[in-house]
Amino acid sequence: MSEPAEFVTIKLNGEEIQAPAGEMLIKVAEDNGTYIPRFCWHPRMKPVGLCRMCLVEVETPRGTALVPSCVQPVADGMAVETGSPVALKAQEGVLEFLLVNHPLDCPICDRGGECPLQDQVMSYGPGESRFVEEKRHYEKPVPISDLVLLDRERCILCARCTRFSDEIAGDPLIEFQNRGNGTEIFTFPDEPFASYFSGNTVQICPVGALTAAPYRFRARPWDLLTIESTSPFHTEGSRITVHASQNQVLRFLGVDNGLTNQGWLSDKERFGFEFIGSPDRLKMPMIREDGEFREASWGEAIGLVAARLKEIVERSGPDAVGAIGGAQGTNEDAYALSKFMRVAVGTNNLDAQLDDGLNPDFLVGVGSRARIQDLESAKTILVWSADLKEENPILYLRVRRAARELDATLIVVHPARTGLDDLADHKFGYRPGDGADLLADLAAGTQDYAPALDALQDGPVVVILGRTGLSEDGGLAEAVASFARDLPAASIMPIVRRANTFGALDMGVAPSLLPGRIPARGASGAIIELWGKVPATRGLDTAGMLAGLVGGELEALIMVGADPVRDVPSGSKAADALRAADFSVAIDLFMTDSAAMADVVLPAEGFTEKEGTVTNLEGRVQKVNRIVPGPGQARPDWSVLDGIAESMGSPIGLPSSEAIAKEISTVATAYEGVSWDLLEGEAREGAVVPIGDVRQPLEYIAVNAEQPARTKGLALHLARTLYDDGSAIRHSLSLAKLAPGMTAGLSPDQAVDLGVEAGDLVTVSIGSVTFACPVRIDRALADKTVAIPFNQPGIETLDAAASVLVKAGGSS
Amino acid sequence: MTDTARWSEESEALAESVMAKYPQKRSALMPLLYIAMREDGYLSEAGMRRVADLVDLEPAQVSSVASFYTMYKLEPVGKYLVSVCTSISCWLLGGDEVLEAVEASAGVPSGETDESGVISPEHVECIGACGGAPAVQVNYELIEGLTPKKATELVEWLNAAQPATLNGDEMQALFGGERSFDWAINETNDATGPYPAFQPHGTIAALDRS
Repeated sequence: MSEPAEFVTIKLNGEEIQAPAGEMLIKVAEDNGTYIPRFCWHPRMKPVGLCRMCLVEVETPRGTALVPSCVQPVADGMAVETGSPVALKAQEGVLEFLLVNHPLDCPICDRGGECPLQDQVMSYGPGESRFVEEKRHYEKPVPISDLVLLDRERCILCARCTRFSDEIAGDPLIEFQNRGNGTEIFTFPDEPFASYFSGNTVQICPVGALTAAPYRFRARPWDLLTIESTSPFHTEGSRITVHASQNQVLRFLGVDNGLTNQGWLSDKERFGFEFIGSPDRLKMPMIREDGEFREASWGEAIGLVAARLKEIVERSGPDAVGAIGGAQGTNEDAYALSKFMRVAVGTNNLDAQLDDGLNPDFLVGVGSRARIQDLESAKTILVWSADLKEENPILYLRVRRAARELDATLIVVHPARTGLDDLADHKFGYRPGDGADLLADLAAGTQDYAPALDALQDGPVVVILGRTGLSEDGGLAEAVASFARDLPAASIMPIVRRANTFGALDMGVAPSLLPGRIPARGASGAIIELWGKVPATRGLDTAGMLAGLVGGELEALIMVGADPVRDVPSGSKAADALRAADFSVAIDLFMTDSAAMADVVLPAEGFTEKEGTVTNLEGRVQKVNRIVPGPGQARPDWSVLDGIAESMGSPIGLPSSEAIAKEISTVATAYEGVSWDLLEGEAREGAVVPIGDVRQPLEYIAVNAEQPARTKGLALHLARTLYDDGSAIRHSLSLAKLAPGMTAGLSPDQAVDLGVEAGDLVTVSIGSVTFACPVRIDRALADKTVAIPFNQPGIETLDAAASVLVKAGGSS
Repeated sequence: MTDTARWSEESEALAESVMAKYPQKRSALMPLLYIAMREDGYLSEAGMRRVADLVDLEPAQVSSVASFYTMYKLEPVGKYLVSVCTSISCWLLGGDEVLEAVEASAGVPSGETDESGVISPEHVECIGACGGAPAVQVNYELIEGLTPKKATELVEWLNAAQPATLNGDEMQALFGGERSFDWAINETNDATGPYPAFQPHGTIAALDRS
């Protein structure tokens, strides 16, 4: 949205420099190599001029004056002294005041050693204080949420945390309270700072006032080893630093990659590190014998897996074997899985998505793919996907910024209330199953939809689309795409679940695609030269494989970092499938519910334990790095798969992760030139691979096309929540308790019809699964609809059917 | 946003009409806080939650404003809030002695409420009546030119008569001394509780007269 910047000339410490007109002095100075001390100013938030630390001397018509440089826009001819005796004395004075009530308990403070207050007192402070009176005392740290603790004595009232929670996160649950000397940051009584982004306030706090429960007193900053990496939790690929000491990962911090996360992290990706050091991690291969697992050596376990797979392939053909997973690991792991299934087994039965995503052929062919940065210049944004706040929180922050700060028109379409509703210019709800009708009305611009359609003609338009819920068919998103890509200056951002699904699809972990997203049918070129003949028929997707196991067409299943029993919308069907499987093997970090049903379980190395690359939702390839060893005898996925292939007598020749990366850049054209060196060097913000830019005709399912069978009873909206019972959350103790638990969301009218109120117990039956849970009222929900959160602790498995039954009463 | 308990129908209607005067709901925050005080006699947590609900703010944002201003009472106060000015003009002309007299006859120090919940003495900063110092407000109704003796009588009268409404002009006649300025027009808004009766936006008094 930036207009061509006009430049002005200012004199900074005697040196003439050019600066964009209107830019704040503190930023201009920093960009020109002069650091002005600050506490409240943060480059990603609006300036407030609260702390007065950044006072500098500016020449004015009435002589020189001290001005706070964070709220002083540069003007032509301005002369500024940042280090003059007067400026330094002012800065020294501000620090002396800030320290008046600061407890100086640095030796027991988590911030000690990396504290902006400590650092700036050392650089700019007076050395000695004239204040001899009693300091202010407050109760030492009080928890303001399950994750964040507040020490009011240390607080210097810079308002970074309150501004973040209001401006950036949209959860203004902490604010200044009282006034004068009694001013403090606090929550409302009984309203904890329960924000999905609360951890960011700990990172930007310039003192030790806010500390994070998972890290408190765990380490001193100077004892930490640090490495840059990419968050393994969301498809946005947030840039992070990983901090470890004595082979224990102790925290993640956000890195400001302007093109993706802009420094922010969701609490899930910030505190989810805990699963890495969980004592429940698998450490040894396990083989099931007489119904019980026993530990085995790698040699024995791999030998057994290879022998069983070989036996099944010889007996029933390669298409009797299938694999699901690969979306939780690196591209290198995914490539190994893709090559293993095609070359060592000889089948296209593999899928990185767990029956909850979009058709890979659609993702390849949709064209006009948007980048996250397109949100900065978008005039109109249409979000017709899962609730971004729950599933793609970093994207949520970026959309929020576009709507709030950059004045983009925001249109949200979703069956239930979403985190973006309050900011949306237009919000349209619908009963699950009726999405195509709404799309037809929107495309026709009838009545209520006319203003939204008008806005969509005003480009650039970014359309974020995906399945709104797990029980919704992916076809609707394709229909939305075929409508959207004909809008003027529209770009499309399809989103799917799990962090590296896009990477896995790029590596060909899909029933119809090879690495580089070339169709398996009729493939040629470098990949065929290297891999030899590959099966041409379209393989089974996850739903097909699970059905195939039950039906007997499929006999063996390989699960790579996948837990279908908990993660597939119809988990009970996945359990049936695993029971029916002749042979199943899980390569995983934990003994998941699915792994517990397998014949062989192999321990894998996870995030921070292996090196490689990942690809985010816009095709941005970034590096992930190793800082701690894996537990016990855990090995990376690629090495396990390479070992099995070797033992089967059909080696896939993958000696190391870096060698795989080189092979990828040879066979997957789009990844040409994307080397680890590049990503470690000039492309530290990631290299975007040109994938999915080719626009292909889409099957036009859209308007007036075939409707999914309308259910007469209650329609099901099955949606994920940020915190659930997935294995990473389950083994991150700080987060596990934050899962909201099972509820039945009803519209107010529906609740009246059933004679229940918020909090009352109801009995819910979805397919073959029945459970009792409390009612939650969602005003945005259509009538005859029930909203159920997916994969909550305490509920065994779900069976996503189109319809659902709800009865008042029940016992939990 | 949670569903908070609604106020009386008349307060809800008044809140609606106050909010209608502003282009943005949140601008009505401060008048609404007085409505909340009138509902509960002080600004309760429930009251702040209701205001937050009405103006689409988080309760923490509401309490941030409420706790900044001293006229929003976050703790219950007595039936009569007796505010004695101790800023410089009043202090020079005996404001401290007036405060002592009020505290003595109420039997509790400034900032507290007597046992029967009738009188809450407090000392306040300048109430804009320097010309009529020392000045006192009872439920924000102004009395100027008090002496310690008159202040004692005032408190005794409040305790004995316990009037349902208070009027500044009437109390001035009974207990006041010299006035700073004759406004010529009689004050018509009577105070009905420890919150101001003025009509910045037709908040409280409009209700009480209806």
